Amino acid sequence: MIAGPRLVWPLAGAGFAYGLALVPLLVVADVAADQDVWIALTLVIGWGWVGAGAFAALRRPDNRVGVLMIATGFAFYLTVGERTDAAILFTVGLALDSLFAASAVHLLLAFPSGRLRGGLDRALVAGAYVAVTVGSIVPTLFVDPAGFGCGACPDNLLLIESNDGFVERWFDGLSVTGIAILLASLVLLARRWRRASPPLRRAVTLVFVAGGALMAVLAGLLAFALIDISTDALDVAYYAVLVPFGLLPYVFLGSLVRARVLRGGAVGSLVATIGGTPSPGGLRDALARALGDPSLELAYWLPASEQYVDAQGRRVELPEGASGRAVHRVTLDHHHVAAIVHDATLLDDPELVAAAGAAAALALERERLEAELRAKVEELSESRARMIKFGMAERRRLERDLHDGAQQRLVSLALDLRLAREKVRADPDRAEELLGGAAEELTDALEELRELARGIHPALLSDRGLGPAIEALARRVPVPVEVRSQYDGGTPEAAELAAYFVVSEALTNVVKYARASRATVRIGHLDGAPGASLVVEVADDGVGGATLDEGTGLRGLADRISAFGGRFEIDSPPGEGTTVLARIPFD
Amino acid sequence: MQASQQSVRMPGHAIRVLIVDDHAGFRASVRRLLEGQGFEVVGEAADGAAALRRAAEVEADLILLDIHLPDLDGRDIAGRLVEAPGEPAIVLISSRDIDDLDDSVERAGARGFISKAELSGDALAALLR
Repeated sequence: MIAGPRLVWPLAGAGFAYGLALVPLLVVADVAADQDVWIALTLVIGWGWVGAGAFAALRRPDNRVGVLMIATGFAFYLTVGERTDAAILFTVGLALDSLFAASAVHLLLAFPSGRLRGGLDRALVAGAYVAVTVGSIVPTLFVDPAGFGCGACPDNLLLIESNDGFVERWFDGLSVTGIAILLASLVLLARRWRRASPPLRRAVTLVFVAGGALMAVLAGLLAFALIDISTDALDVAYYAVLVPFGLLPYVFLGSLVRARVLRGGAVGSLVATIGGTPSPGGLRDALARALGDPSLELAYWLPASEQYVDAQGRRVELPEGASGRAVHRVTLDHHHVAAIVHDATLLDDPELVAAAGAAAALALERERLEAELRAKVEELSESRARMIKFGMAERRRLERDLHDGAQQRLVSLALDLRLAREKVRADPDRAEELLGGAAEELTDALEELRELARGIHPALLSDRGLGPAIEALARRVPVPVEVRSQYDGGTPEAAELAAYFVVSEALTNVVKYARASRATVRIGHLDGAPGASLVVEVADDGVGGATLDEGTGLRGLADRISAFGGRFEIDSPPGEGTTVLARIPFD
Repeated sequence: MQASQQSVRMPGHAIRVLIVDDHAGFRASVRRLLEGQGFEVVGEAADGAAALRRAAEVEADLILLDIHLPDLDGRDIAGRLVEAPGEPAIVLISSRDIDDLDDSVERAGARGFISKAELSGDALAALLR
């Protein structure tokens, strides 16, 4: 439960008023010799907690640290009630006079996020609250203040029966429990400090030192109570507890103010650094220094390819939710420029990250442009490598096709012709038969060479354009093919050629595998960012189930299209036909 | 195992040939050609594994072995085919020219190499002499 900002003011007002109201009660009460000291303590400590808590709650309404601090102030007022004449305040004080300690332990373990992180944290805090409520109320039922030598004290309204022996044994057990909880919390706090990232450590050190001192002194007080030292010594120990407890809210305030001053300085020196011409990586270093987070990374946004890249232009992914990393997006003139990926603990001071990001926005845009250029160069060299690799593969395929096809036929033809020559005198009929076969073989070889030539470059495409070339392709296919073209040229021939081969290979697959009764080819333009594309789609009503596995013709198509920087998609659910779509960008 | 040209001409003592090539059309042409020139074609095989099996069955005098088989390289099994029953002579063939091949043909344990387009009974007889 977190108090909204509107609740903070009444809560804080009540806190200040409560402290003030206690003053006259303390003045008229005659319970102890150090009454005037307590009047001062009530205001200094109580108002301190309420004030610092209100400041924190207003500054960071979504963090419950502030509310916890105000609550700790109220808990302290309960303890003060023990020093008044009012029986009800006295009794409540008697029953809950250690609540402030549990509340402080809760706050310290939850600092600075306001949330308890682990099971051990929750168990310790729950144990502390049980000890200071149930553990403290039970003996209150058996304490008679007069029996403790406090004749001036008001009545204990909860008293059932005075039983000093029981109360003493109970408090011994309670002290042991308290010491255990405090020491465990102290260890937890120390471990958390040691493991903290630099920015977190910077934020928590002072608070942890004061809080650790409070836990240690509290444990000492309980230990003293256990070994029954003199009442005077116990009083001294009690004041010793109030010192770190009273200082804590001021330390907290101090660290907030210090962070604010540091932030101003950090952003100031950041502006000075990036005003010059930072060396490569200099901007990252400057931001890392300003934010005190050596692990800081920058990711530049490339709107064209909708991805983040590092300064070298290599693609990077932003961290997901619970990775201990957080992302701050920097914009310039409403355009997203870059993301600052930083330690999640910096979220305790989001204004710092935002201020640094705003100060660095122009420099980030400059580096973004450089990264964009590098990414482009990288992409070009990759696509060039793909093109070369693809070209080599094409040459190998052509050699194999020639070798297995036309060349084999011509070899057989040579053998048959030789045989025919030998027979021509002795057995003219046989020779004629052989020559007839040879002529057929030659026709087949010629057709194969034509097919191969079309596979290298369809003459019709250069002469008449993509539409007629694809219509001619469709006519050669033994399945009815409807060609719907909303395309009227104007595309570089390389892109048209790629589109032609997509249709050619897809139609080959339709004939070979799809068992389709008909197919449709669509050709069209697509305008849009980052540029215009030529789009071809081949759909059939066959058996589906086509895949992009290695070695299939479709795989080769995908490689060819990716060499163009285009997109290639297959939609082929079993039994529902196959649709092959290629988008080939050109500029 | 020294086959003589004489045996080519002598009926009943024709040279027994096993043709190993993955193109059925080419095997048919070779069969027509060689049978027309007095050879006896005792078997055909379309790949290396079938070649090794057939060679063990037919006791060929001569195996025409394509270098580029779908499963194996002819040069790699020539040495094993020589050991087959009948101790056949191995002649490697390819639609590539000898200039496109390296000296591995000579090292493969074959009697020789003939480019497919130049295949004829006389060319084989010359190699076997």
